Amino acid sequence: MFYRTAGQFKTSYSADQALFPVRQDAVLLIVILAFAWIIFPLTASEFTFQTLLIPILIYSLAALGLNILTGYAGQLSLGTGAFMGVGAYACYKMVTLMPWMNPIVAILLSGVFSAGIGVVFGIPSLRIKGFYLAIATLAAQFFLVWLFEKWAWLYNYNASGAIQVPNLDMFGVYVAGPQATSFTQYYVVLAIVSLLTWVCINLTRGRPGRTWKATRDMDIAAELIGIDLMRSKLTAFAVSSYIVGVAGALFVFMWRGAAEPNLFDIPLSFRILFIAIIGGLGSVLGNYLGAILIVGLPVVLGIVPEALGLEITSATVEHLNVMIVGGLIIFFLIIEPHGLAQLWRLIREKLIIWPFPH
Amino acid sequence: MNVHLQEDLSKHTLRADDGIAKGADLLKVENISLSFGGVKAITDISFDIKKGEIRAIIGPNGAGKTSMLNVINGFYFPQQGTITFRGEKRRRARASETARDGIARTFQNIALFKGMSTLDNIMTGRITLQKRSLLWHALWKGPAEREEIEHREAVERIIDFLEIEHIRKTPVGRLPYGLQKRVELGRALAADPALLLLDEPMAGMNLEEKADMSRFILDVNQQYGTTIALIEHDMGVVMDLSDRVVVLDYGKKIGDGTPDEVRNNPDVIDAYLGVPH
Ligand SMILES: Nc1ncnc2c1ncn2[C@@H]1O[C@H](COP(=O)(O)OP(=O)(O)OP(=O)(O)O)[C@@H](O)[C@H]1O
Ligand SMILES: [Mg+2]
Repeated sequence: MFYRTAGQFKTSYSADQALFPVRQDAVLLIVILAFAWIIFPLTASEFTFQTLLIPILIYSLAALGLNILTGYAGQLSLGTGAFMGVGAYACYKMVTLMPWMNPIVAILLSGVFSAGIGVVFGIPSLRIKGFYLAIATLAAQFFLVWLFEKWAWLYNYNASGAIQVPNLDMFGVYVAGPQATSFTQYYVVLAIVSLLTWVCINLTRGRPGRTWKATRDMDIAAELIGIDLMRSKLTAFAVSSYIVGVAGALFVFMWRGAAEPNLFDIPLSFRILFIAIIGGLGSVLGNYLGAILIVGLPVVLGIVPEALGLEITSATVEHLNVMIVGGLIIFFLIIEPHGLAQLWRLIREKLIIWPFPH
Repeated sequence: MNVHLQEDLSKHTLRADDGIAKGADLLKVENISLSFGGVKAITDISFDIKKGEIRAIIGPNGAGKTSMLNVINGFYFPQQGTITFRGEKRRRARASETARDGIARTFQNIALFKGMSTLDNIMTGRITLQKRSLLWHALWKGPAEREEIEHREAVERIIDFLEIEHIRKTPVGRLPYGLQKRVELGRALAADPALLLLDEPMAGMNLEEKADMSRFILDVNQQYGTTIALIEHDMGVVMDLSDRVVVLDYGKKIGDGTPDEVRNNPDVIDAYLGVPH
């Protein structure tokens, strides 16, 4: 009923290639955008901004970056956290060395640094695959976090060894630092995440996406139909690390406000990987669904029992969260490797034929 | 169907139109030897493929047919001998470059991209013809979209031609074997190849599927003018389709000629009847 597609015919290939060949999808997207751009920011409390809205967007973006590399191009990486760190430190150095720089430009440029370093650490992928590549990216993870600790220039020789986001303004409005409001920061994050999501959708639906998927599905056949595997893999590393780096800059500048090197350590890498897996490898939408679940679950676990009058300690909430996330990962890896995005696709297919299943 | 193909011929400069006259040498294989460690897969083989013909390569299991295709399309570099394609001697290069020069192929064991739809699989065949950079594709609107639509049109003509419209959006992993083979042919055709290498395109098919596939191969050859090298075990098919046949056995060439000549060649008869060497 809601998803009836009868009467919607395609008369050109461009219409068929449109993002939303089915009208209801476009309507749904407009509703979601209206919530994201208008309703949420107008109604959200400080708590909602800080525990849900802003982190969900930033984690989605990081997972999207990882998904380009792992889900689309098939190159497993365990170094996402460190590449977020590269973006964050690059942004920190830019705004402190060049305080006149527009903060949004600085955030978007910081991805260029992580992209460069991503390509360097992507070179082993030309020789090794799968498990071995994962270990190589793990080495990158250790090396970079070690560098964040030891290279004092990166954190401007602060005694604490941490980076502290300064007040940064744009046209008289503070967008980062202690003076910035959550409301402003939410819009900055939303704008950047929307822009990069749109870019990723474009890249994945055209020739670059097919090149990556061919590399992922069968590299020998890909090479024999003329795909330059080296280029395919290295562009995936570059695009992926760019997005992950921007996510890292947002993570620190728009949300955490300060960062120590160990913030970018393995737990962060795994968190992003879990979001991508639960959301669905090889999907753009899935990253959002995964981030909503991973970020939202502990919040819900913290609120619901209390609202029901159950007494649960915060340690128990933490344990419950870990158990549920662990269970979900096992479920998705075994039962539904394409994650929440695939579940949504199935529901949508059912809705299209509902209520006449034949 | 033929209307579509003719449109295609007039709209695109096919790589088959490369100035080499019909009947002239498109590919020359001279004194090729290839071994894997101690195993000699191919020993001193020479033959040619003329522009516009269907050239069959036959021989018992393990004769070296697939290895020969792998040499022709640059996947293996032979220890000895030369390959001349369109008058140019092949240098050692990455296999992806041979594809860019206009040699496309299908595989004995289907090598489709399992996670992608029929349409996307065939679109991958045109990747080497798509020239817009990553940045244009990031923007989509404008040149990248135009390029995508142009190639989509070419691919749709192939989809019509192979009669697989109904499975356009189906993930190839869900297709039955015979259709997968057809999609693989589509992917190779999408590259507008000057030389098409088919490694057992009809293996494991039933009679009806074989008849369809034979018809497609003949149509491709006649309508597009594409030169084809075909490995096939079904002698009936080989005799019907091919203009000339090379016969390999234990990595050596034991026969070369028209189907009739080859059929009456005593060495070939021995090889097929399993006379010990
Ligand atoms: N990558 C390889 N490594 C080692 N030996 C190989 C390799 N590829 C082929 N061979 C050997 O080379 C010989 C020729 O194999 P090839 O696959 O070319 O035969 P074929 O004529 O295609 O046989 P079939 O009809 O069974 O497909 C065989 O003895 C095979 O075992
Ligand atoms: Mg073979």
